[in-house]
Amino acid sequence: MRLLATCALIACCSSSFAEPAPPQLPPAPGLATGLADTAALRATVFGTPPQDIAPLPESVPMLEMDLKLSWRRPVPQIFWFDKRLRVWFSAQKGPAPLAIIISGTGSDANTSKVSVLRAVLYGAGYHVLTMPSPTFPGFIVAASSTGIAGDLMQDGHDLYAAMGEVIAHLPKKAQITDVHILGYSLGGANAAIVKSIDDVEHKLHIHRAVMINPPVSLFATMGRLDKLYTVSLGNGDAGTERFYQQLYAALANAYRASGRVELDEDFLLGAAAAVLKTDAQFSAAIALSFRIALSNVFLAGDMYSGAGVVIDPAHPPKLGDSMEEIARILRSKTFAEYFTSIFAPYYLKLRPHETVDSLIAQNRLEIIGDRLRLGSDYYCLTNSDDLILDRAELAWLEKTLATRIAVYDHGGHLGNLGDRQQAADLLAMLDGRWQGGR
Amino acid sequence: MRRSVRTACALAALALAGCAAREVQFHRWPAETPAANNKADIARVQGVQAAAAAAARPVPPQTGSAAEPPSQPVEPDDAPSLQTYDPWARLNRFTYRFNARFDEAIFLPVANGYRRLVPSPLRAGVHNFFANLTEVDSVINYTLQGRLHRSVRSLGRFVINTTLGIGGLIDVAAKLVQLPYEPTGFGTTLAEWGMHPGPYLVIPLSGPSTFREGVGLAVDYATLYEINLADLYRGDQSWGLGVANAVDERANIDFRYYSTGSPFEYETIRFLIVRKQLIEDAGLHRAKPLPKPNHPEEPAGK
Repeated sequence: MRLLATCALIACCSSSFAEPAPPQLPPAPGLATGLADTAALRATVFGTPPQDIAPLPESVPMLEMDLKLSWRRPVPQIFWFDKRLRVWFSAQKGPAPLAIIISGTGSDANTSKVSVLRAVLYGAGYHVLTMPSPTFPGFIVAASSTGIAGDLMQDGHDLYAAMGEVIAHLPKKAQITDVHILGYSLGGANAAIVKSIDDVEHKLHIHRAVMINPPVSLFATMGRLDKLYTVSLGNGDAGTERFYQQLYAALANAYRASGRVELDEDFLLGAAAAVLKTDAQFSAAIALSFRIALSNVFLAGDMYSGAGVVIDPAHPPKLGDSMEEIARILRSKTFAEYFTSIFAPYYLKLRPHETVDSLIAQNRLEIIGDRLRLGSDYYCLTNSDDLILDRAELAWLEKTLATRIAVYDHGGHLGNLGDRQQAADLLAMLDGRWQGGR
Repeated sequence: MRRSVRTACALAALALAGCAAREVQFHRWPAETPAANNKADIARVQGVQAAAAAAARPVPPQTGSAAEPPSQPVEPDDAPSLQTYDPWARLNRFTYRFNARFDEAIFLPVANGYRRLVPSPLRAGVHNFFANLTEVDSVINYTLQGRLHRSVRSLGRFVINTTLGIGGLIDVAAKLVQLPYEPTGFGTTLAEWGMHPGPYLVIPLSGPSTFREGVGLAVDYATLYEINLADLYRGDQSWGLGVANAVDERANIDFRYYSTGSPFEYETIRFLIVRKQLIEDAGLHRAKPLPKPNHPEEPAGK
């Protein structure tokens, strides 16, 4: 059983970079990546320092709901554990508005980031429903109508349908007075798209939507992360292996120096700042985490589309087969390769009137630009040093949303999620009290 | 007794089959405690800061292995390869899936029910009680490892907590005498004696491990069985104790099989478990030459 505890420790530390944040040390000099400065990279990796988190409630009830959805596609053997869509609901005792949170790229509905947002919202009196990202394998398998994740509008429709099912099955005693939606990172863009769908279909009556650190162009962002990976780790497996060797040696030396008898969570949190020091290491860690998320999307997409890039459609891996070689191949696969070899062929076949350029154009927030510009219920919280946005994209967000956006000077990508200021602004936006001006 | 167990198993299987067919399944989990968690995180960060500040100051010479300087730093080239020695992969994968299903169907719901229904102070008492029992094994193994100061410390904790701590229900030693709980077992003793972790091994019901740790677990259990403290480890009461111990441990572990949603989870956990053990080994051998990280016959992972 103590071995299972090790898994817990590892899962906690590998799923998101060392949360909560380690002590704030002076930024170490490092290599410039050209995408973000040291402070932004550091904030992105370590997240919001716990002392900066907004006041949180003592207790938040947790109800897990696992749904079998009728439009689910056949489940490949190796995804046997993803048959049901898993969401979480936290109900207030009396009538209250419902806030729906959508996770970021590749994440499930119960990450540490979701947990902070859930606590902030529950503490402010909302029922809270948390949904996985449409790029989370558990969503792709259980709730996607295509199995090919990454198309903003298609993912939005799948999310919208799934939310409809979830809300229909919420406990009867939960009295909902209003519905709002929010999401972070890719989930932010998903949230705005879902609201735009609801503006037409009026099934869920979503009132306000808040995007937290959203991308503007999905493909530009992923291209930027591909570049980050190449700059920090190179093209093949050698760079990844070298990075791992450096981390291993740094961790082993820190552990040897500590005199501890077990490598536990406290040690890892303390060692994180000593192990990750330079811009190159921060960049590598960020790029690697997105690449790992992409591996799952790539694998599922390859299997559902039958493209045969990594998996032979005639001989898919079976239960009990090794996945090591597939994992090794996928580590070197970029998002650009996902687009050209899986995504584009699939959607061009599905929508013969489209072109590659139009597919790329459809995966920009501009597809709902008019709604963002004219609709008074779309909001955004982001940072001027968010590495998934370039200057032009940030300017477009500011111009489009005008007073309905808050841009903070620092925080990188999600490095200030749930801090006092951001939480206060988020609640003001959801409550309709936001006056603009930040 | 056996008939009732069989009946209970059959009812559980029927109930689970019924649940599996339902369109929506509901699982009520223990409430999250964000304020307390955040407070603990802040305290932990402050502890890390204090430790970093203390490490930056010059330290007078101490006794004990923890004070011995490492003979040589671990270099990146000392890291084991990205692949992991797993000659029993097919059996291990089967066991991992079995563990996942068992955990999801029985272990986790029982542990969650325990967390929801039993008040926190009572659960803390139960946890302390079982932790105190393992001190006996720690005393023996620290002695076998030649770490006598730690052995004496574990003995001191056991005596203090068993007497002043009312049979181990209260961890008086940690609170009043600043003797923290630092258990060890025969797996660590084997590591101290220079044994390599060996092949990766997923132990039924217990979880991912290595051959060496598996042997260690078996010997630890045999040791406690032989000592049979207060006659707790033999007879009918040992079954109740074993189940209670397992539920207590599971209730204190924040892990869920396949929460990653990824078909690569087995490979990821295998990779991390073995690296963790190798780093711990490097810590044990801090004043000695670093043991070779890879198994001598380590082939490409399967």
